[in-house]
Amino acid sequence: MNIDALLLCLSSSACATTQISTAFIIGMLLFLVASGLSLIFGVLNVTNFAHGGLYMLGAYFALSTYAVTGIFWAALVVAAVATGFVGIALERLIISRIYGADLLMQLLVCYALTLIMDDAIRFIYGSDYKMMGMPGAFALPPLAIAGGFIPAYYLFMIAASAVAGLALWFTINRTRFGKIVRALAINPSMVSVLGINTTLLYAIVFGVGSGLAGLAGGLAAPIRTLTPGMGLSFLLDSFIIIVIGGMGSIGGAFVASILVGFIKALGAIGFPLFTDGLMFAIMAVVLILRPQGLFGERSAR
Amino acid sequence: MLSLQNISKSFGGLKATQDVSIEFGAGSLSAVIGPNGAGKTTLFNQITGRLTPDTGRVMFEERDLVGRSSLAITRAGVVRAFQVASLFPTLTVGEALSAAVTSKQRGSWQLFSYFPVNSAQRRSDEIADLLGMADKRQVLCKELSHGDQKLLDIGLALALEPKVLLLDEPTAGMGPDERWRMIEKVHALWKSQNLTIVFIEHDMDIVFKIAQTIHVLCYGALLASGTADEIRKNQKVIDAYLGSDHHSVSGAKELQS
Amino acid sequence: MNSNLITNVGAAALAVAVFAALPFLFPGAAMVDFIVYVAAYGLLAMSLNLLVGLTGLVAFGHAIFFASGSYTFGLLMQSGAVSIPVAVALTVIGTAALALVTGAICVRLKDVYFSFITLAFQMVFYSVVLTWVSLTGGDQGLLGGIPKPVFAGIDLNNGYSLYLFCIILFAICAIIMRQVWQSPFGYTLRLIRDNATRADFLGVDVFRMKLAVFVLSASIASVGGIILALFVSGAYPEFAFWTTSGDAIFALMLGGTKLFLGPLFGAFLLELLEHYVRAHTEYQNFVLGIVILLIVLGLKRGILDYVHDYWVRRRKVEKKPATAVKLARSPDA
Repeated sequence: MNIDALLLCLSSSACATTQISTAFIIGMLLFLVASGLSLIFGVLNVTNFAHGGLYMLGAYFALSTYAVTGIFWAALVVAAVATGFVGIALERLIISRIYGADLLMQLLVCYALTLIMDDAIRFIYGSDYKMMGMPGAFALPPLAIAGGFIPAYYLFMIAASAVAGLALWFTINRTRFGKIVRALAINPSMVSVLGINTTLLYAIVFGVGSGLAGLAGGLAAPIRTLTPGMGLSFLLDSFIIIVIGGMGSIGGAFVASILVGFIKALGAIGFPLFTDGLMFAIMAVVLILRPQGLFGERSAR
Repeated sequence: MLSLQNISKSFGGLKATQDVSIEFGAGSLSAVIGPNGAGKTTLFNQITGRLTPDTGRVMFEERDLVGRSSLAITRAGVVRAFQVASLFPTLTVGEALSAAVTSKQRGSWQLFSYFPVNSAQRRSDEIADLLGMADKRQVLCKELSHGDQKLLDIGLALALEPKVLLLDEPTAGMGPDERWRMIEKVHALWKSQNLTIVFIEHDMDIVFKIAQTIHVLCYGALLASGTADEIRKNQKVIDAYLGSDHHSVSGAKELQS
Repeated sequence: MNSNLITNVGAAALAVAVFAALPFLFPGAAMVDFIVYVAAYGLLAMSLNLLVGLTGLVAFGHAIFFASGSYTFGLLMQSGAVSIPVAVALTVIGTAALALVTGAICVRLKDVYFSFITLAFQMVFYSVVLTWVSLTGGDQGLLGGIPKPVFAGIDLNNGYSLYLFCIILFAICAIIMRQVWQSPFGYTLRLIRDNATRADFLGVDVFRMKLAVFVLSASIASVGGIILALFVSGAYPEFAFWTTSGDAIFALMLGGTKLFLGPLFGAFLLELLEHYVRAHTEYQNFVLGIVILLIVLGLKRGILDYVHDYWVRRRKVEKKPATAVKLARSPDA
């Protein structure tokens, strides 16, 4: 534990700015993954443990696309779209068989998918660490903000995630399509009776959720080392976020993601070995005091 | 035995129970009837402690049950069977009854005996015999027919050695023949166990045939109490519930069979 | 009433005798290794099944008790202050106390939330183990090995004695769990699993019962941890990581939760998978993933459960022809 180092850092505006911006990018990435998870849970009632794996796929898709085309935007788009399609395929082939199954079964199936995706990536890319490197467009000197320096890419990431998050929120809450999706979450048989193709909708929702995870992976690719195990670590984090923020709540996922981002960023300096512990401790407290999460709606007892 | 005194309950502006007073004598077999929404189940809930009446007392063995927990009321001897059978899907009939009896006999904490212990087995078999389900003891609860499920539900209530048994629509969801078989079993149980039974029922033929006393609820208030003949002729009841055609309807039924 | 105790002890004694003989039939460390690993993780899985299969409490963080068993035992032995049997007893009691405290909180929550909070407690424990380097050795694990002083003429430094000790510990725990499985307590737990509300109506103290089985299963899990710590002469933070709980859940899923020996079979399969697969390919995750999908989506239940259900259905089918004949002859139709 190195609390002194942490306090020292926070007292200097340069260090503090760096930490805060790091916290935000971690948080926003987590938010993209978690919001997809939340969406899938809210509408399909599936706890998608495979989401970390989809994040990883996105990163690797971006890596390969960038290596082939050299165009970062293409890499991002491919990351999101390709992962979305993988998601749809998974939904049709496997996930649709566990709708309504108990939690343990869902968990086991999704975890199995993560394991398979992990090794598939290992098979294609090998186990060693890969780096994508900063795309040329962002090879800029860091911007001086609030007494510290923030890499330009960080700002882009935060902006891109925010835009994606807002687009998701807008679609769900302000469009007709979003209304149907919300209705689907509440009463699927009714929606189906109204003549709407619920099977297609389920596939689309899962695809969108997966695409968000893939986008997160694509955004993370330039600044993270890529390894086949990266999905697994995201997996636990996203669950903590869902529990703290509330299952099915996108706003809650946002707040919780930022919170976790801060814990991770500050923890890296102050208490590197206890970062997980602190997150889980908070999750425990939330489960005890407000089990449905800060913004969740389902009753827990 | 069980005495409801001036029970009233309102939900906001809705008067669910209006000043209901009923005496259920020891060893009696009574029916509570009335149109849907009359407050029959609400009345049951207030007896078993699931709801607390706004005013009034539920006197049982010289004690007021109002305000006591459902568990305490059950332990005191006022037990209820459910409208939708609430069973234990993966256990067999025998296991469910034995486990219920074990709980009654305060044996649930035994870690090193073999289940079921002799005393529990004996009582469980007795109850199965009473229900006429002795040959179904190996059947899983989830595989029982609807009628048998309701019967087992009553059996589980019996495992608690009740003094008063409240049955909420014991024949609900059954066809005409099954309904009679069910109510005959209830009648046989009542005769052999010397219980005080109160049941909610919609089938008038059954009620008139079996019940010693009938209490008619309407809009939460007690409209009339009496024997089958008295109720049949009671004008208020006819107007509110039975309809004047009831005589001709039952007459037609006898003609057909 | 005590006849089943005799049966259980007899069966366990027979099994111990068989396993005691095995190293003479198949000499070499590999077999002994395998058996002790299965015993340790088998206890973890079987104790978890007291929660999952018997009571319906799906705990994601059960390995916390396995790890606390390993570490407590290791630390006690390193202190040099107690003998092995005393250390075993103290470890079990200590873990039971831990379970009492965490269980009192966890058991109040339902379903998913129960599952998650057990995981939360485990990961906090894991973080404590990692951080408290002076006590636990941090990510290196307990340094210095676990001394095994002679007690009552038994020297566990002898490989065969150690092996025998481990399987006897396993057998004792198995007998205890089997007794509980067949006891009125066990059946009351089944009442809670199937319909907690109705169980409550029948006068069952649901909270206390859940807490009791939580503490009991934690105690047994800790013995699994003791066995492993003794055998590898150490305790490692991996024991406390969520993946160890995951392994226990896999064992339940592979072997089944309805039969008493299901989880043990599952632990056996899992060890087999790991040893065998690791020898042939580095893509163990892939294999494990496929196996899980096949079993969960294909069989929809553990292997022993599937076999049991199949056998039960066969018996019903054999009974059916007689009933059909009866109906045909009945005049009511």
